[in-house]
Amino acid sequence: MTTIQQQPRILGPGINRVDGPLKVTGQARYANDFSLPGMAYAAVVRSTIASGRITRIDTTAAEKSAGVMRVITHENADHLAAAPATFIKNPQAPLQDDVIRYHGQYIGVVVADTQQNATAAARLVEVEYELHEALLDPHDPRAERIKDPWGEDTAWGDVRTALKRAPVMIDQTYTTSENTNNPLGLFTTLAAWDGDTLTLHDSNQWPNMVQMVVATMFGVPEDAVRVLTPFVGGGFGAGLRCWSHIPLAVMAARHVGRPVKLELTRPEMFTGLGHRTASFNWIKLGATRDGRLTAIEHESLTTLSMEGDEYEPCSSVSCSAYASPNVTTRDQQVKLNIPWTNFMRAPGDSQGNFALESAIDELAWEVGLDPLEIRLLNYAEVDPKTGRPWSSNALRQCLEIGAQRFGWSRRNPEIRSMREGHELIGYGVAGVSFFWYQQPCSAKVIFRADGSAYVRSAVTDIGTGTYTIMAQLAARLLGLDVEQVEMQLGDSEMPAGAAAGGSGLTAAVGSAVHDACGRLVQKFVDLAATDPFSPLADVGIENVEVSEGRLYRKGDPTRGESLARILAVHGLDELAADGSSTPNSPDELGMTPAGARGARFVEVRVDEDLGRVRLARIVTVNDGGRILNEKLARSQILGGTVGGIGMALFEDTVTDMDTGRIANATFGDYLVPVNADMPDVHIEFVGEPDAFNPIGVKGVGEIGLVGVAAAVANAIFHATGKRIRSLPITMDMLMD
Amino acid sequence: MTTLIVNGMEHPLDLADPRVTLLDALRDRLGLTGTKKGCDQGACGACTVIADGRRILSCLTLAAQCDGREITTIEGLESHPMQDAFMRHDAFQCGYCTSGQIMSAVALLGEDRAGSDDDIREFMSGNLCRCGAYSNIVAAVREVARHA
Repeated sequence: MTTIQQQPRILGPGINRVDGPLKVTGQARYANDFSLPGMAYAAVVRSTIASGRITRIDTTAAEKSAGVMRVITHENADHLAAAPATFIKNPQAPLQDDVIRYHGQYIGVVVADTQQNATAAARLVEVEYELHEALLDPHDPRAERIKDPWGEDTAWGDVRTALKRAPVMIDQTYTTSENTNNPLGLFTTLAAWDGDTLTLHDSNQWPNMVQMVVATMFGVPEDAVRVLTPFVGGGFGAGLRCWSHIPLAVMAARHVGRPVKLELTRPEMFTGLGHRTASFNWIKLGATRDGRLTAIEHESLTTLSMEGDEYEPCSSVSCSAYASPNVTTRDQQVKLNIPWTNFMRAPGDSQGNFALESAIDELAWEVGLDPLEIRLLNYAEVDPKTGRPWSSNALRQCLEIGAQRFGWSRRNPEIRSMREGHELIGYGVAGVSFFWYQQPCSAKVIFRADGSAYVRSAVTDIGTGTYTIMAQLAARLLGLDVEQVEMQLGDSEMPAGAAAGGSGLTAAVGSAVHDACGRLVQKFVDLAATDPFSPLADVGIENVEVSEGRLYRKGDPTRGESLARILAVHGLDELAADGSSTPNSPDELGMTPAGARGARFVEVRVDEDLGRVRLARIVTVNDGGRILNEKLARSQILGGTVGGIGMALFEDTVTDMDTGRIANATFGDYLVPVNADMPDVHIEFVGEPDAFNPIGVKGVGEIGLVGVAAAVANAIFHATGKRIRSLPITMDMLMD
Repeated sequence: MTTLIVNGMEHPLDLADPRVTLLDALRDRLGLTGTKKGCDQGACGACTVIADGRRILSCLTLAAQCDGREITTIEGLESHPMQDAFMRHDAFQCGYCTSGQIMSAVALLGEDRAGSDDDIREFMSGNLCRCGAYSNIVAAVREVARHA
């Protein structure tokens, strides 16, 4: 049959998003766009201390307020069962006790006839606390530290001896601030009970996860809970857990006996959906005088909320990036009275890469090597940890082609040597070795007698293009025009879907669609075999091809039948097949799944007097394996680049160290890149289809972000001679 | 009684509650959910609509202030070339900011502020796109501006 392996690395320049018409006309419906008859509105009440207990909570005034139907606090909340974990813990049910663990924790919910009435009444809830001292400083010796939280600390060779003997050493600390995902769409849950069944319109990146957690908490069977997420206004990791506002809305709907919509406000988006950890990275590099690495030691510390759980292995980047005979990596977490830390686009990698790629740059200066050359000199041809070959790895091409496109050779190696007017010019580079992640996933493919086909999987399209690329993939595999195929997703009743996270969804759902299409073609071949008049009666699947809706003998397009005709001959309206995918085992394949690879080249302009940094241009070259739709893949890299610019220069979730309150929880105060901050961006893909999954993709949702911050910092050093080791890099750090 | 004129249609509204913003009136009272709420604080631009020819933030505008004003929302655009350009240039990802971006871009054409890429970037900077489609938004606006 037609297989994806026969297809080119880039499946054409890419088509427009199939959901584009809905999005440019305002017709795409996000969770907060749904309304139901009799629907009530909810507003949350949040704690105003970071640690302590509620000693009194008075809801009298709120209950008397106009339009209020119900006020729920820990004193009258339903007892809910423990929240089950997925690959990571979910927050436990809200309002189950009087304990305050962070500023902004939900302590009540008000339900009213209008949003205005609910919001106004929520402010009337009076709370008295017993205030405990909050642990807010990551270096507070009283704060609990978790060593090796994921069992992934790594050591090979003898780092201690190698560092002792190294003629050149870099020993530095690199820090990154907390950042907040801030998808533009306000996360919303619209909960509607019908007897013992529950329907949720919900913002998330994983409908089956929300379904499972809510069903368990409320003690109903999973199939009694339906989660609908046809569109979600971004996530960047914020939708990978069942956050507490979801069970709050469900509980509220049960209390008032009508549908309840709970839409978070922007300030609540800062405390209610997690945020990227702050990180501290201690890096030691040992090297020869000619710049060859002999040792890497990378230790990290990241922040964790009191009851939280988070996977943020910053140091793991140092296991795969460079060939070093001696490597040690260690991670620690510190528990604080802060809102949950959570995945935010490239968790661990974004921070760890900033540290490692800054340190490598420092080493280059120390030994007098070109920062590009030192990266090529220490290139990891095989997985340095296991010695196994990579499933694919075009990092060298990323660096070499990127350098060409950027004009790296025009760089004057001296610091402060390039300028235009009052602006100092700097060039910076960073390499990226991204991790690999894939979840199990299933999908169904249906072909109908009218020539239409449907692909179904309970996944989400958070803007990444899943609607489009899965329709394209199925069309390619079934020999149909993409217009004939509709991808349906965002409904927990569909075949169980993987999370839109970890850059793994395209591999997961794509491999499931690939499997389902193969099985569907097999079913057509089997059907044809039962028809003695079929030109395909005696042919096996290995000897058929499919294109333009027809199945035919390999090498002889005249001998075949249309899929529609095969259905008609057998009196069928449709034929469907289920497919699934599970991640391959590195041990069985004898190779290390490489993940995406990339290189960033950045030109900065720094105003010498004001310290203002302007990004002039970025060249970003990435190896994402097979690219299913280049137009959409480029958008993923572009979006990642913008996220990286934010991390490098703007984004900083500031906690008031006296109260534990996030002090800048609005878009007016928490800066994100705007259009005027954009440099010229050149995006290119290199590499080959990856050997690790059947469709050869690696996932490009996150890698675009990684490396931008380091390349910016390295360029700023080249421009100014100032080595900034903490993010974000702000004007005050660059003023003399 | 307040009368909102939205996309050429008159909508008499009982605004006994003066706190209702234009944004909430559009979304919750008129069912025009194409206009989005991203911050409700006038900082993200997702709620941008055109009032009497000017782009405004509907979250910072009380519905009661709009009596008799001509409001155009994304639902009121009739196959505007900007919508087509946004699709061809992939000027959005999740799509949540898109209505506001397009309304801002359409108004920008009338403001004569789309002459250069720098101008487009500057005068589209009131509309945040967290997915980061900015360069593609500029490409879309530039193309429509040149053919206008």
